Amino acid sequence: MTVIAELLKAPRASLEVDDDFDAVNVLMRARGWSDGLPLIPPTAARVEQLLAYCDRPWNQPVARMAPRYGEATPLRLAANAVMAGCRPEYFPLLVLAIEAICEEPFNLYGIQATTHLCAPLVLVNGPVAKELDVNAGCNAFGPGWQANASIGRAIRLALVNIGGAIPSLGDMSTFGAPSKFSYLAAENEAASPWEPLHVERGVPRGASAVTVIGAECPHNVNDHESITAEGILSTIAGTLLGTGTNDIYYEAQPLIVMGPEHARTVADGGYSKADAKRYIQERAHLPLGRFSKENIERRMRVTWKEKYATAGMDAPVYMVQKPEDILIAVIGGAGKHSAVIQTFGATKAVTRALKLRDGTLARSVEDFKRR
Amino acid sequence: MCELRKRGLVTVVICSEPFLKLGKTQSRVFGVPDLPLLLIPHPLGGLSLEQVEGRAGHAVPKVLEIIKERFK
Repeated sequence: MTVIAELLKAPRASLEVDDDFDAVNVLMRARGWSDGLPLIPPTAARVEQLLAYCDRPWNQPVARMAPRYGEATPLRLAANAVMAGCRPEYFPLLVLAIEAICEEPFNLYGIQATTHLCAPLVLVNGPVAKELDVNAGCNAFGPGWQANASIGRAIRLALVNIGGAIPSLGDMSTFGAPSKFSYLAAENEAASPWEPLHVERGVPRGASAVTVIGAECPHNVNDHESITAEGILSTIAGTLLGTGTNDIYYEAQPLIVMGPEHARTVADGGYSKADAKRYIQERAHLPLGRFSKENIERRMRVTWKEKYATAGMDAPVYMVQKPEDILIAVIGGAGKHSAVIQTFGATKAVTRALKLRDGTLARSVEDFKRR
Repeated sequence: MCELRKRGLVTVVICSEPFLKLGKTQSRVFGVPDLPLLLIPHPLGGLSLEQVEGRAGHAVPKVLEIIKERFK
C-alpha cells in the first residue's frame, strides 16, 4: 500500500464520490470548501503528485491556522493546492507561505477574524520566483500567471478549509476584498536598483524567501510629471495620507510598491532604500484638525494622550511612526506608477527563507523532491 | 478568557449578535464550550457615550447573574 493510501484510511481523511467533475463540485460547494469558483477534484493521485515535493511527514502539522486552529498538514495543504489549480512543483512555496502567516507576529487570528478588509499578501524573492515563473512584472498583482493565481488561491482555500475563515463565522470582514481570492507576487529583483526585500530582512543573497503582510489592496500612485527622487517620493508620501487607515492606530508597516521606473528615478537621485523611507515618513502626516471631531476627542486625545491630549489642530499626525517601519519592494513593468499598500495595522510582516527539513537553504524546489 | 475560565475564574465574554458564532467557535476551539457569551445589541462602535452606557446597562445585570450563579 502506498503512503498516501495508508494516510487516507484515517477517519474522515477521504470520501468516495462519483467520478464526475460537476457532482464533485456540487458536493464541495455544499460543504463550504469553495471560494465560490469551481475546484479541481483533489483525488489521491493528484494530491500525491504535490506531496512528491514535500520532504516532511505528510500527516504532521507544519502549523495551526487560526481562528479554528486547524492542523495544516502537508496532506491537507496538498488537497487545497490541487483544488486551487497548483502545479506539483509549487508545493514547497505554498508550505513556506503557510508557515510564515502562522508565525505569531503576523497575528493570523486578527487578520482572519477582523471586520477590516485585509488579506495575507505573499511576496516571493529569490531564485524560486523565476524557477516557478511567479510574475514580478507587468500585471504582477493581476491575472494571467498560474503560479500567482493558484498558489495565492491555495492559501485562501487553506485559510477557509483549515483555518475556518468562513464568512460571518470565522471571517468577519465587513465587505472583504478581491485580494481575498488570491494575493501573491514576486519582487522584480532584476529591475530593482536596490537590494531585494528578503536580503534587506536578513535572508542570504541567493536564497529564496517569502515575506507576508496583512495587507489592503494596492492603492495606485500616479506620477508622470516628477523627474526627481524628491518629486516621486513626495507623491508617494501624499498617497499614504488618510484619516481612515488602520495604520495610524498601530506601529504599522505599510508596503510601498515601487514601479521600476519610479524606483530608478529615486535611486538615480542618490537615494538608498533607507533614505527613501526616511523621506516618505517625514512627509506623510496630516494636521490633527483633518480628523473628525469625534475621532479627535474620543480616540486621539484619549488613546494617545501623551501626544494629543492638549495638541492644537495643526499638530502633525504621522501615518507611519518610524522610517524603518516602511517596507519597500520593486514590482511591476513599464509605467510611471507605484502603489501604497496599507495594512491591518495589528500585524508585523514576516520573512521566512525556503529551507529543507534539515534546515539547509533550498536552492531549488527540486531539492524537496522525494528520492 | 478561555484560559482564565480554565483556571477557575468567573468569566464572561460580551459580544454583539454578528460575533456570536465566532465566539462559540472560539470557545470550542480553546476547550471551553460552555464559556458564557453575553449578547448585547449590535453595534458597539459608532455610538454616543449615552448609547454605550445603555449597552453597559444591558450587560451589567446579566454579568451579575452569572457571578451569583457561580457562587451559589
